[in-house]
Amino acid sequence: MLKFLKKVGFIVIGFLLLSYLISHASLWSLRQSQFYKPTFLTNGVPQTQFDYIVLGASTGLTTLNTQTIDSVLHTTGLNLSVDDTSLPNQYLMLQHFIATGKRTDFCILAPNPKNYNTLEHTLSDNDYRFLMYAHRPYVHDYYSQFKGTRAAILQYSSWMPTLGVSYYNAEVFYPSLLSLLQPNKHNRFDDLGNYSYPDRAFVDAPISQFQDTDLTFKNSYLEKIKALCDLHGITMICYISPMKGLKADVGSADYTIINHSDLLKNSGYFHDGIHVNTIGRAQASVVFARDFKSYLGIN
Amino acid sequence: MLFNSLDFAVFLPIVFVLYWFVFKTSLKLQNLLIVLASYVFYGWWDWRFLSLILFSSVLDYVIGIYISQTTLPSKRKALLFTSVFFNIGLLGFFKYYNFFVDSFVSSFSFFGWTIQPNTLNIILPVGISFYTFQTLSYSIDIYRNKLQPTRNFIGFAAFVSFFPQLVAGPIERATHLLPQFYNKRLFNYHKAVDGLRQILWGMFKKVVIADNCARYVNMIFDDYTSYSGSTLFLGVFLFAFQIYGDFSGYSDIAIGTARLFGFELKQNFAFPYFSRDVAEFWRRWHISLSTWFRDYVYIPLGGSQGSKLNQIRNVLIIFVVSGFWHGANWTFIVWGAINALYFLPLLLFERNRVHTDVVAAYRLLPSFKEVFKMGITFLLILLSWVFFRAESLSHALGYLWQMATDNFVSIPQMRPTYLFVLIFIFIIVEWLGRKQQYAIELLWLQYPKVMRWGFYFCIAILIFLYGGQEAAFIYFQF
Repeated sequence: MLKFLKKVGFIVIGFLLLSYLISHASLWSLRQSQFYKPTFLTNGVPQTQFDYIVLGASTGLTTLNTQTIDSVLHTTGLNLSVDDTSLPNQYLMLQHFIATGKRTDFCILAPNPKNYNTLEHTLSDNDYRFLMYAHRPYVHDYYSQFKGTRAAILQYSSWMPTLGVSYYNAEVFYPSLLSLLQPNKHNRFDDLGNYSYPDRAFVDAPISQFQDTDLTFKNSYLEKIKALCDLHGITMICYISPMKGLKADVGSADYTIINHSDLLKNSGYFHDGIHVNTIGRAQASVVFARDFKSYLGIN
Repeated sequence: MLFNSLDFAVFLPIVFVLYWFVFKTSLKLQNLLIVLASYVFYGWWDWRFLSLILFSSVLDYVIGIYISQTTLPSKRKALLFTSVFFNIGLLGFFKYYNFFVDSFVSSFSFFGWTIQPNTLNIILPVGISFYTFQTLSYSIDIYRNKLQPTRNFIGFAAFVSFFPQLVAGPIERATHLLPQFYNKRLFNYHKAVDGLRQILWGMFKKVVIADNCARYVNMIFDDYTSYSGSTLFLGVFLFAFQIYGDFSGYSDIAIGTARLFGFELKQNFAFPYFSRDVAEFWRRWHISLSTWFRDYVYIPLGGSQGSKLNQIRNVLIIFVVSGFWHGANWTFIVWGAINALYFLPLLLFERNRVHTDVVAAYRLLPSFKEVFKMGITFLLILLSWVFFRAESLSHALGYLWQMATDNFVSIPQMRPTYLFVLIFIFIIVEWLGRKQQYAIELLWLQYPKVMRWGFYFCIAILIFLYGGQEAAFIYFQF
C-alpha cells in the first residue's frame, strides 16, 4: 500500500512539474510570436510613433481599415482592435501600447456602440489574449478586478500558468505550438492589424428608416481611457460605427465623437446588424478619413 | 460530481485513504463508507434526489426478501410487479412525463383539437436510468430464483449507490457485483496500478478526444444551415468520436476507480468501431445495457426463437425501447429503429453471429476485406448518430438533407488539424490494444519502462492541457 502511495506521489509531483514547464514554454512561445494583438504590437510593429491607433472590438476591427485611411490622409495608423472585447480591454490595450514605449497622437475608440452605455463590467471572451503577459502588473490588475472562475484562472496564471494554458488550451496551447513553426503568423489580421468579415452580405436594399438608439456614454472606462490619453498627450475620439437601421443619439456627451451610425443606407453594405462587409468597410473608412482630417489639422 | 473535476480529484484520495487505512479492519464499515461516499458524490449535484436512491434501495431490498419468503406464484408475481411499477414509475415520471404529454397534445392537434397540457417543470435526476435498471435486475433475478436476497442492507445500499458507476454505468447485475460487497477486500498493488492506468486512458478519451470533438460538433450541429455537406459529414464523424470517447471514457474511469477499491466491474465497451457488421457493433457498444435488455426483455419476448414475424417484432421492440431509454425524444426512438433495420437482415439471414472474435486477432493489420467491412459499418453507424445528436426529427432530417445536397464533395469549412492528429493517434492505440479490456492495458509492457512511462506522461500531459474546462458527460442526461 505504502509503495503504491509513494509511487503515486512521485508521479503526481513529476507530472505537475512537467505541466508547469510546458505551460511556461507555451506562454514563452506566444510571447515571441505575433499571433495575437498584444504580442503583435510588441514583436511585429517596429515603428514607435503613430498618428492614430484604433482601439475597439469587432466593430473597430472590421470597419476602420487603416490602410484606406492612410492612403487618403497620408498618415500612419495601426488597428489594435480585438473582437469580442469591451472598453475595459481597450483600456488594457492602451496601457500595453504605452508600456511597449510607443506613441500616438490620436486614439480612436471603436467599441461595439452599445458598450458606451455599459455600467457593469465583466471579463470579455477574448481577454485571455493577454495571458502571456499575466505576470505584468497592469495585466494582473486587469484580471483581478473581475469576479468568477475564468477571471480567477487568468489572474492566478501569473504564478501558476498551467491554469490558464489548460483552461484556454485550444486558444493558447495550440497557437503556441503553431507559433514555434510560424512566429510571424497573425490570428486573422493583416500587418496593420486590420481584418474584414467575408462578403456574405444582405440583399441590396435601401434602408429608408433609422430607429433612434440612445448612447449615454456612462461607461466608467471612458473616463479612465480619457485620463490615460490626457496623461500621455493623446487625443481621444469616440467613433460610432455604422449600424443597420439604427441611428445613435449621442445627446450632449463630453467627448469628441464621430457618429457614423446611420452612414450606410443600404443593406448590401452589412455583414450583420452591427458589422459591415468589405464594401461597407471601404465606404466607412473613406468617410471616416474625411471627417478625421479636420482633427488632424490637414487642409 | 464529475470525474473530470477538481472536486473529484480531492474526493477520491480522501475516500481511498479512509477506506484502506481507517476502515480496513471492518467490512461493514468499509461498506458504510462506500454508501456515505456515494451519497456525497451524488448529493454534490443535488442532495434532494438522494431520497430516490434511498427509496429504490429500501423498496427492492424489502421486496427481494418477501419474494424469497413466498412460494405462491401469484404473490411472487405481485411483489415483482410492485418493484417494476415503482422503479419504472419513477423513471417514467421524471424522464418521460412531459414527453408523453407533449406527444399526446401533438397527436390531438394533428386532428384539429386543441388541448391545454399540464406539463411540469421536472428536473431529470442524474443517473436514474442506470440505478433503476440495476435495482430492477436484483428483484427480477430473485423472482427467477437466480439470486438469493441479501439481508445485509448496508451492502445492498452500497451496491445500488456504488459511486464509480452510479450515474452512468456500467449497469451492474446483482449476481456479479453484490457478492463482492460480502467478501473482505484486500489491497492488491497490481490491481490498483491497473485501475489507475484505466482511469488515465478514460480521462484521455473524455478530456482530450470527446471534449475537443464536442467544440466542433456543437458549432456544426447548432448552425448546420451555414455549412457545406462535407463540413456536416465532418460534424457527425467527430460526434462519433465524441460519444464514444465520452461514454467509454466514463466507463473506463468507473471501472478503474472501482478497481482501486478492490471491485471488478464489467467491461462496457469493446472497441465497437472495429466491428465488421452492426450485430458485432451492438455486442461491443454499451454492453451492460445491451445485455440487460437482452436478458430482461428480448429473451422473455421469445428472442430469436419462433416465427420470422416474431423475431422481427422482438428486434424492433428491443431496439426502439433501447433508443427510448436514452431520452424522451422521438430522435432516440428513430435512432433505435434505424439500428433495428440495420440488424434485421443479419438476423433473418442468420448472419448476426458471424463476427464473434476480435478483428485481425493474430495480425497487426486488417485485411482489405476487413477494412471495407469496418468502413461500411462505421458509415451506417454515423448515419444513425445524426438522429442521436439532433435536437428534433426535423433537425436531423434537415441536417441529412443539407449534408447530401450542399457540396458533399468539397473541402470542409472547418479543418481542426490538431484534432485529426489526436484522433489518428487514438485510433492507432485503440487498434493496438483491441484484444484487451481497454486499449493501454498491456500496451508496451514488453518494452523498457522508460518508453512506457514516457507514453503515460504524454497522455497525462495532454489531459492536463486539455482538461481545464469541466464538461459534463453526455450520458448523465440519460
